[in-house]
Amino acid sequence: MKRIFSLCLTNTAKMNIERSFTFEELEIDPKEIIATLGYTEDSFFEPFPTYLAQAFECCKQLNDIKGAYRILKMDEFCSDKKKICVQDLQFNVGRTIRKELNGAENIAFFVCTAGAEISQLADKLLKGEDPVLGYVYDVIGSAIAEAVGDKIQATISLSEQKAGRKITNRYSPGYCHWNVTDQHKLFSLFGGTACGVKLTPSSLMHPVKSISGLIGIGENVEFNDYQCNLCQLENCVYRDKH
Amino acid sequence: MNELLNKLSNCIEFGKINKAAPFPPQMKGEDGADEITRQALDEGVNAQDVLTEGLMPGMERVGVKFRENKVFVPQVLMSAKAMSTAMVHLKPYFDSGAAKQKGTFIIGTVLGDLHDIGKNLVAMMVEGNGYKVIDLGTDVDTEKYLNALNENPGAVVGLSALLTTTMANMERITKEIKAAAPNTLVAVGGAPVNEEFSKKIGADNYSSDPQAIVEFLNTKTA
Ligand code: B12
Ligand code: SF4
Repeated sequence: MKRIFSLCLTNTAKMNIERSFTFEELEIDPKEIIATLGYTEDSFFEPFPTYLAQAFECCKQLNDIKGAYRILKMDEFCSDKKKICVQDLQFNVGRTIRKELNGAENIAFFVCTAGAEISQLADKLLKGEDPVLGYVYDVIGSAIAEAVGDKIQATISLSEQKAGRKITNRYSPGYCHWNVTDQHKLFSLFGGTACGVKLTPSSLMHPVKSISGLIGIGENVEFNDYQCNLCQLENCVYRDKH
Repeated sequence: MNELLNKLSNCIEFGKINKAAPFPPQMKGEDGADEITRQALDEGVNAQDVLTEGLMPGMERVGVKFRENKVFVPQVLMSAKAMSTAMVHLKPYFDSGAAKQKGTFIIGTVLGDLHDIGKNLVAMMVEGNGYKVIDLGTDVDTEKYLNALNENPGAVVGLSALLTTTMANMERITKEIKAAAPNTLVAVGGAPVNEEFSKKIGADNYSSDPQAIVEFLNTKTA
């Protein structure tokens, strides 16, 4: 797939790296979608397999799947046990995430989106003609946003490895006690909008199938699985995931 | 119980919409909710019985199975579709007053929030359990809830929120509804909401799943 990294050097967001993805290159495993829908391959009966095949085929046409990131220096002196400072901003990431960022020199902030098309398609079908197919698109839309997150994470990992640095797992506002209102600060690093994703006053990203967050970078950081044993969020997408 | 109504319950429970529908595989080629509802009404079965003894028991079984993780969202959506197909035949009876729903439930996702799958599932399940449902959509502020309440006095209001930020709006809206219409029952739900928050903001019920809100509504209308 010939997709070239584009450096978007705008006035507001310098060194913001944005990349488009095709659905195919995300290599989403249908089994993952089947599991999110609530089934196993053996218990996945018609018409759901047909719906899934149809949706996978249509998703090949999506052309607004994007991910963006920006790497910034972490201000060691201003950061404390619960917060980190980057430029003149303080992110109240909370104790859990802060601990994972110990030793980080730089922080990569990211925004990833499955795009407006799939959200609109899912919404239209859910409200009208075919709610089941709409729901299949909805679930695939979430998986796309996460898969773009995986790709961005892998890209950062690879380029940092070359420079002898490691990365942490990725963390998002709204998880692990990091308040979702910090989204505004995160988006300000991208000049208010990234990959066509906008933030509402209530910190909701639009299009809906989008994720945001940060990754710690440094020679001494560690990549840990999420430490979920004390958390009550049984259905968290990141629970016990690396 | 009328054999037809029994069959109708099964169509709702297993999401058999009409004869042409291939789902569920074990009912392929059989009549669905569409045909059976029509047939029952044509044979003179009381429209109220079609609702309360045919459709509702089926939907209740779906709600219980969903809560117990025995069926998942796609099957609930199939059942809801079977239900709405049947309801088309019943509409004239509701309009004329020959059949009555148990009460009215107004639901909306609160201002600032655009999540609606969870809210839609609740709406479908409540409707399938015999209530008139007014779905105000997403991004709904107090005024819209109050207007709907004015048109449907005595209705129970349901608020949905999926983000902690919009839970703040849930609190404000609940208080404003209570101030304007003190006797209104307000129920809240959504992934980050819990019992403790519901109590704190003065809501009357928190339900984690659709069947639970149906049970709450049933205690209020019985
Ligand atoms: C899938 C998912 C995503 C997907 C898709 C999101 C979407 N909107 O489509 C993706 C990966 C894109 C995503 C992104 C994000 N997510 Co998310 N996501 C989820 C997840 C795992 C499932 C949501 C879902 O679809 N559930 C299925 C539906 C059917 O369930 P439901 O809506 O909860 O509804 C049920 C009940 O709640 C109840 N109910 C709902 N409303 C009502 C109303 C009444 C009256 C009643 C009685 C009952 C009721 O009945 C429904 C049926 O059982 C939840 C966690 C969870 N397990 O719920 C987090 C969750 C919603 N996400 C969360 C967060 C933080 C985010 C992000 C902000 C993270 C980030 N920074 O990137 C972004 C925000 C996206 C945006 N647009 O702004 C938080 C929100 C809480 C908070 N902290 O504010 C949650 C709760 C996880 C958590 N950490 O606690 N997310
Ligand atoms: S379950 Fe784990 S990843 Fe999810 S919010 Fe809790 S601690 Fe964070």
